[in-house]
Amino acid sequence: MARYGMLINTKKCIGCYACRTACQRQNDLLPNESFIKFHEFERGTYPHVTIEHVPTQCMHCVDAPCQAVCPTGATYTTEDGIVCVDHGRCIGCKYCMAACPYGARVHNEESGIVDKCRFCTVSALDGTEMCTCVTACPTGVRIFGDLDDPESEVSKQIAELNAQPIDGDLTNAKIFYVR
Amino acid sequence: MSFEPIWGAPIAWYLFLAGLGGGAFVTSAFLRWRHPEAVNMRKAGHVIAPVVVMIGLVLLMVDAEAGLHNPLRFALLLHNPFSVMTWGVVFLAAFMVISLVVLVLDILKKHVPAWLEMAGVVFAVCVAMYTGALLGVCKTFPLWNNALLPILFLVSAMSAGAASVLFVAVFRHADEFNKAGVLKKFHFCLPLIEMVLVASLCFITSYNSTAGFESVMGLVAGDWALWFWLGLVLVGLVLPTALETWLLFFSSKEFEESKKAHIISAASDAGVLVGGFLLRYLVVMAALPVTFVM
Repeated sequence: MARYGMLINTKKCIGCYACRTACQRQNDLLPNESFIKFHEFERGTYPHVTIEHVPTQCMHCVDAPCQAVCPTGATYTTEDGIVCVDHGRCIGCKYCMAACPYGARVHNEESGIVDKCRFCTVSALDGTEMCTCVTACPTGVRIFGDLDDPESEVSKQIAELNAQPIDGDLTNAKIFYVR
Repeated sequence: MSFEPIWGAPIAWYLFLAGLGGGAFVTSAFLRWRHPEAVNMRKAGHVIAPVVVMIGLVLLMVDAEAGLHNPLRFALLLHNPFSVMTWGVVFLAAFMVISLVVLVLDILKKHVPAWLEMAGVVFAVCVAMYTGALLGVCKTFPLWNNALLPILFLVSAMSAGAASVLFVAVFRHADEFNKAGVLKKFHFCLPLIEMVLVASLCFITSYNSTAGFESVMGLVAGDWALWFWLGLVLVGLVLPTALETWLLFFSSKEFEESKKAHIISAASDAGVLVGGFLLRYLVVMAALPVTFVM
């Protein structure tokens, strides 16, 4: 059993939105439905200023507040630690949207189902050709892998770069950021 | 940064109607205990309770789109015993069954057993309070995530429920209305308590976080200020209090039972109902989330 997670290095991010569009294509999302959101910040003081792009999505929290409030059990965590939505069980009450501290939940206007990042890139681990946020990124911002395996690229990079969850120990998130 | 509220008017209406129904049922039980002669008023409460809660539930189902398209999914609602929404479903189901049985007994002119009415009161209070807890467990929204909200919604629910029964009584059972003095005095106190609770909620929330401060500022001085001050505070809280103070403490008994006083009382009750809805609407719409990335 694995414990999947991701590293996002915002120092490499150029804000091109390739991850977002790749995700929309891979997961067949509506044009106005995106699992990845971008936050932009001005850093530094003149004349040494930069713009930081921070892409966020479902953090696949160990203590997932969305799962805690979901009344129908549509939200569940797989054995590999991926938080998923069973579309066949979702009634679209939006309680998960209210509970998620990261605003990661999106409402599909056609089906009424509330959806989010599925860590679909896990299916690419065996070599399957996919169009995911990880593969689409032109600057190598994202590394996906098993957090329990100390030899995995993601584990090594998290240790080396001292990557941290976006908001401390808020929900025991499994996406780690380099800022 | 602008924030699009997650829930909108239908949910605010639902929260209001669920509370209103609970409050109307409790008012009927209160009448049974304190004004046993006001039989018709009691029956009015028994009609209002299931009807408004049912309207609220329909709104809820229409808002939950994915369930509306696949109604069988609503059967899954009891799946997660740790979700406040699941508790709500249990409370609402129990309350609907009891209030409908009571209504049927009334229609058949049969005696409503006291234990059934008491059980109904317990679930009515649960329904009214759960609407506050439903929002209250969402840690991301400081305006919701506090212990005051279930209490505030409970007080507002009782206030609105009593107002609805008194409103009907003014027009249909004026003789009983004139004699229901104790109920009127309780009903007079509720907006006063609510005022204190709203003030506390705003004051404390504005100090607990930036998002809390921004939410409260949105209410008292921002996009929602007009609705907050004119709608909730003036029409919903101050006006009913002022009118009832006049009727209860500063007018003669003859005037209190006159047609004019009845209209004033009805206006006060209408104000309470408007305030009850606006309270839910503003709390739902004005809440802003805590910033997680900066």
